[in-house]
Amino acid sequence: MKFPVIAFAGVTAAVIGIAGFADGNHLRKGLGDFIASAAPELAAPFGHAEGGRKGAREPGSLDVAQAGTPPEAKTPPADEPPAVDESALRYFASQGDTARLQAEISRLRALYPNWTPPDDPLAVPRNKDVQLEAMWQLYSQERYAEVRKAIAERQTKEAGWQPPPDLLERLDVAEARARLVNASDLKQYETVIQVGARTPILLTCSEVDVLWRVAEAFAETNRQTRARDAYLYILKNCDSEPERLATLQKAAAALPYAIVQELLSYERPNASGTLEFESIRDDLARRFVAEGEDDATLAVDPKYLQRVERLVETQGTASDALLLGWYHLRRKNMSAAEQWFRRAREKQDSASASQGLALTLIDRKAPEEAEKVLYPWRDASADALATYMAATANLLAIEPPVVLTGEVLQRIAQETIKARDPATAQQFGWYARTLGQPQTALQWFSTALSWKPDDEPSAYGLAITRHQLGDTAGTAEIQRLWAGRSERIARLGEPEKPAAPGQLPTPPVQGPQPIAAASGQPAVAVIRRQGSLPVRVGTAPRQVVRRTIGCRETVDPSHLSPQAALARGWCLMDMNRPLEAAQAFEVALRAPASAVREDAAYGQSLAYLRAGLTSKAAVAATKSPQSRARVAELQTAILADRAIAAFDAGRYRETLIFLDQLRRISTERTDLMVLRGYAYLNLNRFTEAKRIFEAAAATGNRDARRGLADVSREQEIWPNK
Amino acid sequence: MRYLLIFALLLAALAGRAEADERQGSVKADAWAQYKSKFLDPDGRILDDANGNVSHSEGQGYGLLLSLLANEPADFEQIWSFTRRELLLRDDGLAAWRWSPDSDPHVTDINNATDGDILIAYGLALAAERWGRSDYSQAAATIARAILDKTVVKHGGRTLLLPGIAGFSAADRDDGPVINPSYWVFEALPVLDRLVPSPKWQALGADGKAMIQGMKFGPQDMPADWVSAKTTLKPAAGFPREFGFNALRIPLYLVRSDQSDREMLLRLQRGMSGPQGELLTRDLESGAVRATLTDPGYRFVNHILACVLEGTKVPEDSRAFRPTQYYPSTLHLLGLSFVEEKHPECL
Repeated sequence: MKFPVIAFAGVTAAVIGIAGFADGNHLRKGLGDFIASAAPELAAPFGHAEGGRKGAREPGSLDVAQAGTPPEAKTPPADEPPAVDESALRYFASQGDTARLQAEISRLRALYPNWTPPDDPLAVPRNKDVQLEAMWQLYSQERYAEVRKAIAERQTKEAGWQPPPDLLERLDVAEARARLVNASDLKQYETVIQVGARTPILLTCSEVDVLWRVAEAFAETNRQTRARDAYLYILKNCDSEPERLATLQKAAAALPYAIVQELLSYERPNASGTLEFESIRDDLARRFVAEGEDDATLAVDPKYLQRVERLVETQGTASDALLLGWYHLRRKNMSAAEQWFRRAREKQDSASASQGLALTLIDRKAPEEAEKVLYPWRDASADALATYMAATANLLAIEPPVVLTGEVLQRIAQETIKARDPATAQQFGWYARTLGQPQTALQWFSTALSWKPDDEPSAYGLAITRHQLGDTAGTAEIQRLWAGRSERIARLGEPEKPAAPGQLPTPPVQGPQPIAAASGQPAVAVIRRQGSLPVRVGTAPRQVVRRTIGCRETVDPSHLSPQAALARGWCLMDMNRPLEAAQAFEVALRAPASAVREDAAYGQSLAYLRAGLTSKAAVAATKSPQSRARVAELQTAILADRAIAAFDAGRYRETLIFLDQLRRISTERTDLMVLRGYAYLNLNRFTEAKRIFEAAAATGNRDARRGLADVSREQEIWPNK
Repeated sequence: MRYLLIFALLLAALAGRAEADERQGSVKADAWAQYKSKFLDPDGRILDDANGNVSHSEGQGYGLLLSLLANEPADFEQIWSFTRRELLLRDDGLAAWRWSPDSDPHVTDINNATDGDILIAYGLALAAERWGRSDYSQAAATIARAILDKTVVKHGGRTLLLPGIAGFSAADRDDGPVINPSYWVFEALPVLDRLVPSPKWQALGADGKAMIQGMKFGPQDMPADWVSAKTTLKPAAGFPREFGFNALRIPLYLVRSDQSDREMLLRLQRGMSGPQGELLTRDLESGAVRATLTDPGYRFVNHILACVLEGTKVPEDSRAFRPTQYYPSTLHLLGLSFVEEKHPECL
């Protein structure tokens, strides 16, 4: 600690008007700055009401302190010995409290550079004023209300008696400190910041806990740069090694990667010659890599990745391997991700490791292994189940169909029914058709439709299968139900035109044919296979004739024409291979025709969304102007993903921000209402949580009902006499 | 410190210090000494001894008011120190309503109780006037502004006081807004209006009085502790439908505010007075007596009604104050102070 009292002299001189306090040499641009600029209203003369003298406080007194120029008139002439209040010194001396005594001597020295401390402080005569002595005693026992009472009592009895300014000042500060801590414990962050701003003397190296609390208050109220300033202040000015270490730990927990890197640049060597944060470097590296998992655009310094890699080698922890797996998965480094997930599973199999591995396997078109890997963990979380179901849908969608054992088919069917997953049910339908079991196909398509009545592909599957089986009435029934909603269902049974390229209906906008279909596949093969995630908004009749044949083989799309790449992109989307689809759309984005680019950007955004790469989806959406409906659709999906990610990361305020943005463009889905409810609950905003849960529960949502119960558990019932 | 002195003197002169001193001690020194020896702990906390020695913003407000009425600035200072440090923590400037000695943090629910806020602001405002303390008036003004901004609402053409920020509004409850008529500390409203002028204070007082007038529940036509003000006034769902421990202080606040309506007071008196002056709480469904309260503090509310309405003298044994429990003893001192000041003929 260089000098314990930041801006003390200036504030005190300006506020209290005690001559002789100010000394320009000691006045530093203080921490009051960052508070005042964050909350300029706090510089107004509203007193913190300790003692009667606050009425004398002048507007902008905080600014005076920050300007670094104490009022000239308050500086005493250098040759006059200052009138130093030594009553605290005497009291601590009389108590033999040498620690406090030393602190008081340093404090007085800092305040009064001309003051000479007594040669033998312990020999300083006791305060002769017994009542004052008692007040100091109460003060040192932190019995502040009793000090206040004693002062007021004496003022009533002895007209004109005034307590020593030092006692009042210390009492004000001690009470403000206690109040700040109380408010901080109760998450009343505005109060924390207000009290801190009005009591700049608290914002010093000797009160690091207060600084931490103020920093937390800023971080919790979305003022990250202010929080950074507070942590930075400590790292620049304060010397206690344990406190510096804790400061960095707190900052790393509260602030984003880039700011923490800046703070790390203030690391110093410690007494033993090593860098002071070395002991937490492993944890920091883990933290940064984990942050990189949340944000695919974050460029984490390779040194942190290497550090975590070394940890896997030396400590063999599965959790570290997992961190790396997810980090790479988020960046589409699929083979690296696969390698780390396998490492993690070797150390210790877990839901997360198996899920990650399954995702990489799905991505490299090995859904059979994905299903196998994830089957034991399918019930570990909603996420794991979703991945498992995606693996099963992909597995069944492979063409030509993979031969699966009865055992595997049986368990997939079981899980599909348990999870009521329309996508896999639909794929079961197609799978059954391919294997020549139309009756089974009918059952699966019907089941999928019962779970998701607006699932057009299942309806289509049902219709063509009935049609194939000669069930005219059944086909007509579907056509009636889907009239106006699906052209391909409507056209079923019409005489088919040969599927030659030149005779295909063309999209309304663009001239060139969408695809040069390679073969004369029957029109019935026009099957849109889609996952349960984002699907394309039907725009033009084009969707009906889109051909999904011709994307089974792995092809480098960069050699395709933009048109062909676009068609391949949609085809891959229908095959639920979003990452390859994104690549194909990327090629299509080079098209000169704006309509193709628009379609490609839209497709790529959907593809990234389906792959869980929200940030990339957001970027893709901006690559070409989109129609309003599509913009709304993409925005909705992106914001929902972000809200969920923010919630999972414990960033509840951010969650609410995303949900609010979302609410501006579309009505809130019930599951997101529940998310909002829990975000409120975690922020202790019980009333709002209750209201939203009630609204969601009214739709019969079970999670919302559970949310309601959680709210009432959190909230104490009051008041009753 | 020179500034402080000059400032304090100026304020004292403005507030009319001489006049203030003449009014001192409507709560007698001895009674106050007994009260505080039982309910005020050294840390400045008023203990609710009937509820596990917790404290409320309401209790702190009563403590401030009573120490002011006893003209004890030192005690006032002590109670205020605790109140500000331990309860006045909310971001919106209102006080947390409950403090428990056994919890950490001591505040277990950050919600406010608006009568507590009003009492604290009122006590501070009066103390600022009497003792020339600008810091008190600034703190009072901040609370008063927060009360106006956060708890005074318009609903269905009425100006209402929400009993707490969370849990009572139309948005929070099906039968909301729910009000507590005993949270209208009528005497405080003009004082707060002087400090933070706004037409809302007057409207709040007038509508509060009119609503209490209109609360005729049960066979005895009594007000309820908790009332739904959603449409026509009725006892709120989820609370006991009773004229209970909250509502029994309504007549005290009414007469202390000096503008009581005789008909209404007579009606309340009929509903709450037992044959020996006991205070009766009532079930508002059946009209049956819920509790017969014999504590001198509760009885004193009936004594006041008898004094104001019929000029009946306060019985000898109720004139002396002996502390029993926090709540009735508080009512007792507020009642004694009122009779002392406004109806000395009843003593």
